[in-house]
Amino acid sequence: MSDDSVYIVGSARTAFGRFDGEDNDLAEQAIRGALAVAGLAWSDVQFAVGGTNGETKPDNLVSRLGLTGLPFVTVKNGCATGGVALMTARNGLLSEGADIACVVGYDNHARGAFNASPARYGIGAWYGATGMMVTTSYFALKIQRYLHDHGISPRTLGYASEKAFEYAAAHPLAWRRKPVSVDDAMDADMINDPLTRFMFCSPDAGAVSLVLARGLRAFDLCERPVRLASVALRGRRPGSFEVFSPWLSPGERTSPSIDASQAAFAAAGITPADVQVAQLQDTESGAEIIHLGETGLVPHGEQEAAYLNGDLKVDGRIPVNTDGGLLANGEPVGASGLRQVHEIVRQLQGRAEGQQVPGAPRIGFTHVYGAPGISACTVLVAEGA
Amino acid sequence: MTIRVVDDSLFATTDPVALRGSACRACGAHVFPAMGTCPVCTGVDVAEVALPTSGTVWSWTTQHFEPKAPYRTDEFAPFSIGYVDLGSVIVEGWLVGKTSWAIGEPVRLVLAKAWTQDGEPVHTFGFEAVEGSGHE
Repeated sequence: MSDDSVYIVGSARTAFGRFDGEDNDLAEQAIRGALAVAGLAWSDVQFAVGGTNGETKPDNLVSRLGLTGLPFVTVKNGCATGGVALMTARNGLLSEGADIACVVGYDNHARGAFNASPARYGIGAWYGATGMMVTTSYFALKIQRYLHDHGISPRTLGYASEKAFEYAAAHPLAWRRKPVSVDDAMDADMINDPLTRFMFCSPDAGAVSLVLARGLRAFDLCERPVRLASVALRGRRPGSFEVFSPWLSPGERTSPSIDASQAAFAAAGITPADVQVAQLQDTESGAEIIHLGETGLVPHGEQEAAYLNGDLKVDGRIPVNTDGGLLANGEPVGASGLRQVHEIVRQLQGRAEGQQVPGAPRIGFTHVYGAPGISACTVLVAEGA
Repeated sequence: MTIRVVDDSLFATTDPVALRGSACRACGAHVFPAMGTCPVCTGVDVAEVALPTSGTVWSWTTQHFEPKAPYRTDEFAPFSIGYVDLGSVIVEGWLVGKTSWAIGEPVRLVLAKAWTQDGEPVHTFGFEAVEGSGHE
């Protein structure tokens, strides 16, 4: 512990799903909730970061929270927004010599959002016109190859779906809370082989906010502060397999998830085997399987056995996505990375809103990944009693 | 008669069909479609190349629902997309002729009709199974 350690002393999330109000209402709800948990007021916050991929300006939240003149940085980093916002808040605390920071991530996506144009990715119009600009086909192509390379059966996709909806059913703030059996998942309408309708998350609305405190101040504010042991952001290198790629290199397959997770573990001084509860980007069922391997939590090819052995359940060796993940909470892009952190914080504090991981876990890990080839990972460690 | 295609810049030739990629003189990386720089080594010394016209299926999927705009078709039917290993580069394209494929299956480059404009077919590139290759 040192003066430069940064802790999460308060966190709150909204219910995720359809929200028929202003984005700012969502963000404000989350912020006030996190401040209440920390026992602080907006006037105590010395540095703020807001992340959204929508049209609102997060820093304009000060007009309803209070015009204290604090520095408020905004972040727009695709699926990594939550992780980058947290990283920015931590860096802001340290560089400003401040004690209290607040970070919020939020989005309110309409049904069927995420319809990108080829031009935005520097690709010709032909790519969209011929039906190749479809994210579901990317996910399918990627997991199809991964299952083949590592000898994993497609039924493993069903195990991931079943787990997600089982845990969402137990979590009051999740979106899709109806349990789905493995057979339900496998027999549902095929979207893009091998992925069915129950294997994809959907864009939706949600907000999450965290309050950070630096050094010993954290222990004045929170009985069980959770230390942000590391946060790492990485982009893609040649050989990675990203969305909207007309070509791939034939050589070694790299991944920003491998790079970011390795950097986060190294900075925190731990290995994947030390992780006791994790959140992994599960935009679709295949992603959870791939990211188990890329982060090193489960060796490549052993994922099927891990699901069957119960290793990934709340009472297993490495509980993953214990709140239902993206599959069951949906994807408000700006909020997801912070939802992951919120769930890990609650698990490490022994106050999970859904199913609690037993045995007082101390070390948690989060991983986000998205277009155009970025990943942000955190290591979180429980301190205190 | 000119063969109409969805984008001329994708092709080195259309009859016989060959894709137009670029190769980096410094590091040897091949990319598609052709670019003026090398994304692998950050170099700027690249040359246009006609890519190999046959390879194997590296991955595949079938698109079961109609993509949103800007997708364009005369009449939608589920179609396959895949990545094909051409050796020097792996290229994404239509897989035509069937909707169930096997990784490793040999395929060859063809032109396939994408839509009709002013009564004339407009083609994109795709890959078809090589007959008698033993793959179903």
